[in-house]
Amino acid sequence: MLNEERIILMTRMVSYEKNEGRKNMKIGNYFRSDYIAVQILKSVICATIAFGVIFGLYLLYNLDEMMQNLYTMDLFEYARNVLSYYGIAVVAYSVIMYISCSWKYSRAKKSLKNYYHNLKKLNSMYNEVK
Amino acid sequence: MTALLEMKEKLKLIYGKYEVLILPVAKFLLAFITLNTLNGRMGYMTRLDDMVIVLIAALTCSFLSLNVLVVFATLFSLAHMYALSLEVALVGFCVYLVMYLLYFRFSPKDAVVVVLTPLLCSLGIPYVVPIAVGLLCGPASVVSVGCGVAVYYMIEVVVGISSNIKTMADDEEAMMAKIRMMIEGLVGNKAMLVVIAAFVVTVLVVYLIRRMSIDYAWTIAILAGAMTDIVALLVGDLLYDVNFSVGGALLGSLLAVAVALLIQFLRFCVDYKRTEKVQFEDDEYYYYVKAVPKMSMTVSTRTVKKINSQQVRGTAPDPRSRSQSERRTAPSRETDRRSGAGVRSVTTERTSYGRNGAQRSSYGSNQGGIGGSRNSRGTAGRSITIGSASNAETDAEDNGVGQTDEWL
Repeated sequence: MLNEERIILMTRMVSYEKNEGRKNMKIGNYFRSDYIAVQILKSVICATIAFGVIFGLYLLYNLDEMMQNLYTMDLFEYARNVLSYYGIAVVAYSVIMYISCSWKYSRAKKSLKNYYHNLKKLNSMYNEVK
Repeated sequence: MTALLEMKEKLKLIYGKYEVLILPVAKFLLAFITLNTLNGRMGYMTRLDDMVIVLIAALTCSFLSLNVLVVFATLFSLAHMYALSLEVALVGFCVYLVMYLLYFRFSPKDAVVVVLTPLLCSLGIPYVVPIAVGLLCGPASVVSVGCGVAVYYMIEVVVGISSNIKTMADDEEAMMAKIRMMIEGLVGNKAMLVVIAAFVVTVLVVYLIRRMSIDYAWTIAILAGAMTDIVALLVGDLLYDVNFSVGGALLGSLLAVAVALLIQFLRFCVDYKRTEKVQFEDDEYYYYVKAVPKMSMTVSTRTVKKINSQQVRGTAPDPRSRSQSERRTAPSRETDRRSGAGVRSVTTERTSYGRNGAQRSSYGSNQGGIGGSRNSRGTAGRSITIGSASNAETDAEDNGVGQTDEWL
């Protein structure tokens, strides 16, 4: 005999598994520290590429000036400035990503907890029938 | 209000029923308008400025994710920039790359915001974007709004410098001048920075207020968002002298408030007068709960069918069937009387009997006829009907028995 409550629960769970759950399950496979570390590593790579692109545009914009001053300027000082800007950009971006990832991870865990609770509920429904 | 709520429920029903059609059509329209606007605004590559290509791209977007539309719009704009000048396209590509690196990391699902922001900016009504995003999305969506505004201003810069670039030669010096012109246009664009800052502040203000546990939080958030937007733009105008149209901002904000109130009605329609505040406790916590009921109406879904009043000859109505029909259709008759419907014939169920007379019950199918049918002599498919009305009789005379056969 059809159990309406069970069918509704299963439909909701399948819908969750197909949509939001898929992403959350991927997140749930990690420990919190591992997940955040991987995401920050990706962020550092993205920030490095973005900084490289912006610095490339800056160099293009100031190419004439750079070529004129190339032999007179202190290249080490210049490189140190560039690296410090790079460090600030990467750290700032990573901090933002850390906050964002922590929030995402806790939300995903809460959502998965609810999902596993529903699984248990479904299991108990089947046991009741038996 | 009741009529509006009823209309909302009907809209929900229609959307639920035709979602498979409505979504692709909406995506197609959005893609078509976006790509057409882009072609109209830039249009440097004449091969792309072709209705057939736009239609093909829009059709492709209609059954794929909205992120594909973002990719198409990017490729279209880059192609137009390339047709204008390779250097402009190079700078444009770099800007897009930085945006994608930022945008996809934070809010990859806000493709619709990224597309709609420049589109509405070009239509002169961008003020609705930050309020709507604050109401419907999270704080991470400020990145999408910022990217959308930056794309709009980049296109404006390209359009602005296009006449100069067309007259320039192709030597090395001109190359550097073009790159410089493009970068200066972007970095020195105070209007872009002011609009991005104003929109970011507005999104955050709307988001924070609408999440508060206060009565009329959404309405307050909408009004506060509109005011924040205007004030931020005016302050930016005073500081950087970017010449915003105050009248345009006010009118745009009024329109944004109207749209936001519509969004509120569709998404968050609650009755604060019936708010309940309850307090209880368990072993670990005290709970202070505020429950605000949603305003909703149930729309009656009736299946009304005109049924021939003429009895089919030689098919005597089965008394068992008759009693079933009377019992089951009584509420429907009641409904029809209330609604004043001219036609009283309602058939919503099929009741079938086994040989021993036990009811097998199969609900939901619309089958039946007046006072019997081809199946009425047998055991299955008993007809369930309620009489007929004047206009139903007229139809019956026209259609005859053939109409009855069609329903079986």
